[in-house]
Amino acid sequence: MTPRLASVAVRAAAVAAVAALVVLLPHAFDDFLNYRFAFVGIYFIAIIGLNVLTGYNGQISLGHGAFLAFGAYTTAILSTNYGVGEYWTIPIAGVVTGLFGLAFGLPALRLSGVYLALATFGLAVSIVLVAKRFEGFTGGGGGKTLTLPSSPFGALSTNEWLSYLTWGVAGLMFVAAWLLTRGRLGRSLRAVREAPIAAVSSGLSLARYKTLAFGIAAAYAGVAGSLLAIAVAYVNPDTFPVSLSILLLTGAVLGGLGSLEGMLFGALFIEFVPKWAESIDNRAPSVIYGLILLGALFVIPSGASGLLQRLAPSLKSAGERLYSRHNSRVQA
Amino acid sequence: MRRVLLAAGAVAAVAGVAIAGAFARTAATPGVTSRLVTIGGTFPLSGPASSYAPIPVGMKAYFSYVNARKGPDGLRGVGGRQIVFKYYDDGYNPANTVQRTRQLVEQDHVFALVGGLGTEPQEAVVAYANQQKVPQIYVSSGATEWGANHDKYPWTIGWQPDYQAEAALYGRYIVSNLPNAKIGVIYQNDSYGKDYIAGLEAGLGPAHKSQIVATRGFEVTDTSVLSQVIDLRKAGVDTLMIFGTPSPTIRTYATMAKIGWKPANIFVNSVSGTATFLGIATSLAGAAEVNDSITTYYTKDPANPAWDNDAGMKLYRQIMAKYVPSGDAKNGLYLYGMAKAYTFVQALRAAGKNPTRESLMNAVLNMNDKTNPFLLPGVVTKTGKNDYFPISQQRLLRWNNGLFTPFGSLVDTRPKGL
Repeated sequence: MTPRLASVAVRAAAVAAVAALVVLLPHAFDDFLNYRFAFVGIYFIAIIGLNVLTGYNGQISLGHGAFLAFGAYTTAILSTNYGVGEYWTIPIAGVVTGLFGLAFGLPALRLSGVYLALATFGLAVSIVLVAKRFEGFTGGGGGKTLTLPSSPFGALSTNEWLSYLTWGVAGLMFVAAWLLTRGRLGRSLRAVREAPIAAVSSGLSLARYKTLAFGIAAAYAGVAGSLLAIAVAYVNPDTFPVSLSILLLTGAVLGGLGSLEGMLFGALFIEFVPKWAESIDNRAPSVIYGLILLGALFVIPSGASGLLQRLAPSLKSAGERLYSRHNSRVQA
Repeated sequence: MRRVLLAAGAVAAVAGVAIAGAFARTAATPGVTSRLVTIGGTFPLSGPASSYAPIPVGMKAYFSYVNARKGPDGLRGVGGRQIVFKYYDDGYNPANTVQRTRQLVEQDHVFALVGGLGTEPQEAVVAYANQQKVPQIYVSSGATEWGANHDKYPWTIGWQPDYQAEAALYGRYIVSNLPNAKIGVIYQNDSYGKDYIAGLEAGLGPAHKSQIVATRGFEVTDTSVLSQVIDLRKAGVDTLMIFGTPSPTIRTYATMAKIGWKPANIFVNSVSGTATFLGIATSLAGAAEVNDSITTYYTKDPANPAWDNDAGMKLYRQIMAKYVPSGDAKNGLYLYGMAKAYTFVQALRAAGKNPTRESLMNAVLNMNDKTNPFLLPGVVTKTGKNDYFPISQQRLLRWNNGLFTPFGSLVDTRPKGL
């Protein structure tokens, strides 16, 4: 085996191991842990999309929760008002929210940096009020109650099924994002971020790629929101507080902007750490959470993927040592 | 090669854990063991409705009292089982209620959801509780739907008199005693506030409904009711109905005092019209503003010395002194919690030696209890197969200088035909 082949084999084994864990772990979990694991999958999808926008394309969104809300309400309204099967609403929510994201991306083109961040923040603030205003459609503050799906496979509990469902979708969305970002599109998105003037002079349309990044990010959030509506079986405006948007951005940053695999760490972090902080001291959960967050950013300023990259040379040299030892043994 | 072996080993280990986990699940009644009965609920311990926080504390205190004491069967607790009451903060936000309720059912494996608070928060979990066939009983909200929707949601039941019945009582009182009233309503803009308006209109009847000259709503999260109060004053209101949760109700009194307006008659709903909250309103708005407010009640009032020699009140104070020494025993919400816990203990005793969720619901729906020491004398806790309104008798009260004076007799507002 050449070193290159060996590294591909190791990577494939790692992917297979994660997939095996996803398939097998639900049976070992307490039922409620499956529910939380489904949430990790939902956050994973949302911050992969956010990563395309912020990590690859360099546009900051403080309003990603609003796109989640859009997807969740699409599913809730379609399934309760119009009787559409809830699983069919997942792709619909993705497309509808993606279009909404494209539409939002157009005016956002004129803004950049902190101004764009404020505009998206406004989106997160207003979605709550909009949902409350159109009560007949959205159920107002009382929200909309969906029917919690029971598992189509008798052997699985509802929460196990939810976990498989979200992770199945998350797997597809991960592969799609990987395919999207590794080729021409990914290069163009990064070029727009790194050197907009050079990108324009080599024929790229800034407007097109910036808007597209918003569309992709929103579509991912729409799918995540749809899954959230299905898993919780309840949607109201307060499901999407402004803090959710900030939480998602935190997850993307901690996972490592510009890395897709890192988002897994980010998703685990935002599902488990705030609640864990609460269990340490329930009088001041946000203080403990803030301290953990500060500590994490101090230790891994470039996120989980950055940490892996920093460790990579030493891992690689260790691997090479192993490999050469193996080779020398073979030769001997 | 070694890595592949390692990976295979890891997968095998996970599979082993998975199989062990699958066998660990049992089919017994959740939350019931030979020693414990675990129940749970969600309450607003923080946020805009956090003034309700004493309710679960009062419930827990009564359960502690029962746990420490030998029952009629000579065993401590109920049938030898200790009641464990787990409650979580939902901040009066339905989105949190859903998550916390699922945690109670799926992680804590509670036997039943008891006393969960708030109309909209509890509405958010009705479908879930009924789908999972988990009793959602004695909901801490007087919304009429807890009693009226039992065909659709048989696992859910309220406890206190419903809001529509209470507001209808005010309406009928106005028709017979204040026939020329110009009525104004300030209400919480959610299903809780709207329930009261529906009841008021029903009580006034079609002939007098037009006497409502203005209604103004506020959001529970609003921090000011000034514009609503000014509107009502401008509309020439002389009889004001306040249909809100405690904090906005207190704010309404304070705002009226600030602009120097005192309508001739003020009706305040029973939830907010307790001695504690009207006491706070008095301290902010002055006694003159709050005096003569009319409300209704069905439990004894721990702030009123008239009950000092009452056996039920003595028991209440004894339990408070022992289990909630730092609590203000004059706050009626502790007593409300205890009265509700009393009803639950009665139901659990009646649910048999080995209670199941079904046998608990049967007991809840087959009650005719006159013994609750915390309710007004004569108030019966009564249910039937189609009667999901446990308490439906109440009395009008008038507030004056820190004390309630009952007037009129105990009125039964149970819906007709039950």
